[in-house]
Order: sequence, then structure tokens, then C-alpha cells
Amino acid sequence: MTAISRSWNRLTLPGKVIFTVVPALVVLTIGLVVAIAILGGPALDLVVANLPIVRFVVAATAILLMTIPTAFLIIYMEMKGIALMNLRIGPDRVGPFGSLLSVVHGLKVLMKEDFTPTGADSVVFTWAPVVVYLASVMTLLVIPFGPGLVGQHFQLGLLYFFAISGLSVVGLLMAGWASFNKYSLLGGLRSAAQVISYEIPLVLSVVGVIMLAGTMDLVVIVENQAGWFTDWYIWQQPLGALIFFIAATAEANRTPFDLTEADSEIVAGFATEYSGMRFGFFFFAEYVNVFIISALTVTLFFGGWNAPFPWPWPITLDLNPGSLGIGLLFVVALVPLALTLILATPFWLVSSRIKGWQALVIGFVLANLFLVGAVAAAGYIGFDWVAGLAWFMLKAYVFVFIFVWMRGTLPRVRIDQLMNFAWKWLMELAFLNIFITAGAIILIKYLNPEALP
Amino acid sequence: MSFVPGLGIVKGMAITLRRFFEPKVTIKYPEESPDVAPRFRGRLQLLYDEWGTLKCETCFQCAQACPIECIDMGGIDTRGRYHVHWGPPETYGERREESALRRSGRPVPDRAFHHFQPVDLGAVDTILDEHDHDPKRMLEILEATQSAYGYLPVAALKQISQKTGAWYAMIYGTASYYGHLRFEPAEDAAQATAVAAARPPDASYVTALGAALGGANGRPGARGRS
Repeated sequence: MTAISRSWNRLTLPGKVIFTVVPALVVLTIGLVVAIAILGGPALDLVVANLPIVRFVVAATAILLMTIPTAFLIIYMEMKGIALMNLRIGPDRVGPFGSLLSVVHGLKVLMKEDFTPTGADSVVFTWAPVVVYLASVMTLLVIPFGPGLVGQHFQLGLLYFFAISGLSVVGLLMAGWASFNKYSLLGGLRSAAQVISYEIPLVLSVVGVIMLAGTMDLVVIVENQAGWFTDWYIWQQPLGALIFFIAATAEANRTPFDLTEADSEIVAGFATEYSGMRFGFFFFAEYVNVFIISALTVTLFFGGWNAPFPWPWPITLDLNPGSLGIGLLFVVALVPLALTLILATPFWLVSSRIKGWQALVIGFVLANLFLVGAVAAAGYIGFDWVAGLAWFMLKAYVFVFIFVWMRGTLPRVRIDQLMNFAWKWLMELAFLNIFITAGAIILIKYLNPEALP
Repeated sequence: MSFVPGLGIVKGMAITLRRFFEPKVTIKYPEESPDVAPRFRGRLQLLYDEWGTLKCETCFQCAQACPIECIDMGGIDTRGRYHVHWGPPETYGERREESALRRSGRPVPDRAFHHFQPVDLGAVDTILDEHDHDPKRMLEILEATQSAYGYLPVAALKQISQKTGAWYAMIYGTASYYGHLRFEPAEDAAQATAVAAARPPDASYVTALGAALGGANGRPGARGRS
């Protein structure tokens, strides 16, 4: 008991708030679900009547919650991946293969002192990480994770994405200005310069895709790329994809364009004065940004949720568990047991060194793997959105890995190289890309009026 | 090969990707340890700084710590005062024999010092006889040696070490502790003799100094270095 009270007293105010609010929210949600289940009719009617609002709330909650494991996973990937590239082992103490280290880091950040420097504008100082974080997270609302798995489906999705992600500049400037530290201010100004400079080629590089798709609706853009992987926009927009990827790297402040933080050179730029969970939010936002940029690259150029081949060819699973009647209960009760025994038997028979209980444990684990695999496979075949989500996540994490890989390889560029590259190369190339795409579209339409939308 | 933009990036990325799958060099220390001989203590080597000067400060700690006395302090220290040789590793076996001899109390022939600073060691032997070869009277021995030679030659110190059985490191420590003992011949011989003449023949000045400093038994404070 004293241990609990002692660790409670060690928590900072935001830590206390989070440790109270999160369990309360969980309890509340469970209570609500139970209440809806019990009350039935009236509660359900209320939900149905306000379906758009409920949908929005659910989507926002899901996205906010999704960022936490995403960021943890990406931080772990980065620590482990870069370590492996450096011929080190990397994190291997907390959890299997050190995979819980980022969680522990998160808890550490939560318990640290949350310090506000004297003279800082405390309101702006507090809100800056929130702005940065929300500017990242809100963009996730329009990203289609799978068929039907999109937070808000609206037609200006891409415009919304760039508008909201542009807001993060405001957060950076707020952080730099409110820190009451001239170096933070300089760092903030520098990040703003970088982010704004790269926003131009970023947006221009996407114009080609918009012209090809004829819409800014991300769902439609993804649907246009259905079919084989040759239908992806990367083949029609290679230059656009390259510019987009480079500009997005700079936009997300990743190596080799991570001049805003530049851990080894300047302290942390705009985040110098931040500590505790407020710094944690900047950190979080950065890693969520990595995921978002990867997701958008996949959505725009790599077919989004579409598999690289039209598979599975329409297989219809005609499973109707209800038809078994009371037999279903027996199946549910007996299949795991039977499977465990069946899978354990060969191990028990094959070696006298494996004891009975060990064989049973092996059988149990194998049976679980088998059942989970079967459920996943059934979901993949039976439900569009499971397959879509799986492919989308796979592709997105391939790009996350490329970001990690780049961070393990490339040195940081200088600020003048950075600016020169944006203004003298990327922007011109993006314009060139637009002109070439437009010319090609006109040409194809002239030759074959029914070819393109 | 013609220059292709971005080729360097591709090459670098290829290298890191290859490293990604290569075996790792980390040794998880407390759980596993590198495979070396149990008595391995690392390589014995004197290091030089970037100007080619020996980094050794002649502090004798290594010689004192060496369990088999295979480290014999020598070479030239940072002030160019010594020539005793460090020696190649092939001679470590010899050193070990010497060490055994030294510990058994028998005199150890030292071939190292003869050819760099031949000194007549007769005076040292006389002094040692007078002081009964007693290492506990080291300060008196050293003072006598200094008055005989005008300074403390390395060869004499080595002889003292061998005859009394005291470690060379300890003798050096004693000699370098006291300000009036010196390792170099005085540049100005006349001045040196003048100082020696002005010094009282016995150790009464020590008593006087101790009394002046208020120490017990007429000795200065234990750690004092006036």
C-alpha cells in the first residue's frame, strides 16, 4: 500500500490526471456498453438518431487511442532497427526482445517533472505541444485504412490533410516563442522556415495524382488504384512520388532533414525548454507523423488498402455457425481441447525426454496459434476491411521502416543545402511534374476520349 | 563511372541494410564474457601521445601492482631522467626468474643498467654496509648516497634495491618524496657543494624544522612536505 501511495506521490500533475482519467474512461465506456445492452431500445434509438456525431466521436477516439501503440511501435522499431544497423543488439531487457522499452520510456516521461521556465508564457507554453500533437493526429481522420475504415469520408480529404498538417507550424512557433529563450525562438523560427518551405513541393507533388484521379477524395484515389500493383499511381507519377517522399521526410522532421531537433548539434530547437509529458507530446507527434506520412504515401502512390494482386479471387465462405444449433456449444467447448490433444500427441510420442505436461503446453500453444491463424484467415477472406487493413498496415510499416533505415544511414544536411534543395530543385521538379502530367492527360484524352476520367 | 545523382545514398542504404542482417558484436557482459585467458590483463604497452612523447609519468604504480614483477620500470620518463629498459615481451620470462630470485632474497644480476650509466658502485656498497642493508633506514641510505655522488644515480638506486630487497618503486617513491634528494647532478657544482657545506652534518635541521612546525618527536607532520 505504501508502495502504491509513494509512487502516486511521485507522479506529476499530468501523470495523476492521466492515471485517473484513463481508467475512469475505460470504466465509463464499459458501463455505457452495458447500459445500452440492458436498456436496449431508447439508448439505441438515441445513438441511431445521432449517427454522424457518434461516428465522429468513435472515429476520433479510435484515432487518438491508435496513436499510442503506433508511436510506441515506431519508437521501438527505430531503436531496434538502428541498433541492428550499427551491429549492436539494441533494447533487449524489457519485454520480449526489448519490445516494451518504449512503453517504459513513456511511463518515465509521464513521471518526470513538468517544468515551466520563469518568464515563459505558460498558457501558450502548455498549448503548443497540444497543437502540434493534434495537428498530427487530426490528419489521421481522413486516411482510409481499409474499405469503410475511414474516420470521416469527405471529398476534400487531401486538402483537409494538408490544411491541418500545416497547423503544426503554429504549434512549433508557439513552442519557440513561449519558451522565453532566444535559442528556442530561433529553433522555432528555423523549424517553421523548414516546414513551410517543404510544404510547397509537398502539395505541388500531389497535384499530379489529383489530376489523374480527378478528385481530392482519398477513398476514391485508393479505389482508382485497385487491381494489380501496376495500377498504382507510383508508375504514373514516379517523379511526384519521389518529390512527395522527400518533402514529407522534411515535413516530418526526419533524418536527413531533422534540423529542427538536430540532437547532436543544437539542443532540441523549439523543444529545448520542454520536459516531462509536454516534451513527450512533441516526441509522440513526431513519431505519429512518421506513420501518417507513410500512410499518406501508401494511400496516394502505393494503392492504399489494395493488395498488390487481385487476391483472393472471389472465394465465398459459406459458414453459418448458427445452423449447428446446440452443437455449436459443443464445438466451441471441445475444439480447443481436441486440438490441444491432437497437436500434443506427436510431441509426446516422438521423444521420451518431453514430459506429458510439456507436450500439453506445446500442444496448447500450437493450438492457439492455429486457431488465431484460422480466425485471421477467415477474417481475411470473409471481410474486405480485414484484408484491406492488413495490406495497408503492411505497406505503411514498410515505409516506416524506410524512414528508420534512412535515419540509420544518412547524415544531416546543412540548413542552406536544405533550403536550396527545396526552392531550387524540388519546387521546379514539382512544377515540371504537373506540366508533364497535364500534357499527358490532354494527349491521352485527345487520342482516346474514354481513357481517363 | 559516371556520376549518378543519388547513387551515394543508394550505396549507403545498401550498406546499412547489409549490416542489419550481419551478426552483432555486442557482448552482453554480465551474462556472457569475452573468451580470453583467465589471467589476461590486456597488452603491456607504453603509449605515445600525438607528439611522439611517452605518456608514461613514471609513477611506478604498474610495477608495484604487477603480481609477478614482470614490469620493470625503465625507459625514459617524461623528464628524460631514466634509462632503464622496458624491454620486449620475450624477456618477460627472464624477468620472472629475476623476480623469483629477488623474492628468495638472493641478489639478482641486472644487466640493464651497466651500459647506460656506469657509476662506481663501491660507495653504495660501503654505505649499505654501514647501514646494515636495512631497508627501513632508506632515507639515511639515500642521503648518504646523495652526499657521496652529489645526486642519486639510477644505477645506485638499482643497487640499493637489489641489496636491501626493497622495491625499486618504493625507493623511488622515498627519494622523490623528499625535496632535498635529487636525481640529476646539480648543474652548478659549486652551488651544490655550498649547499652541502651549509647543511648540518647530522639530521639536526630536521629536528629544528620539526620543532618550528610543532610536530611531535621533532618530526614534521606526517604528510607535510615542507
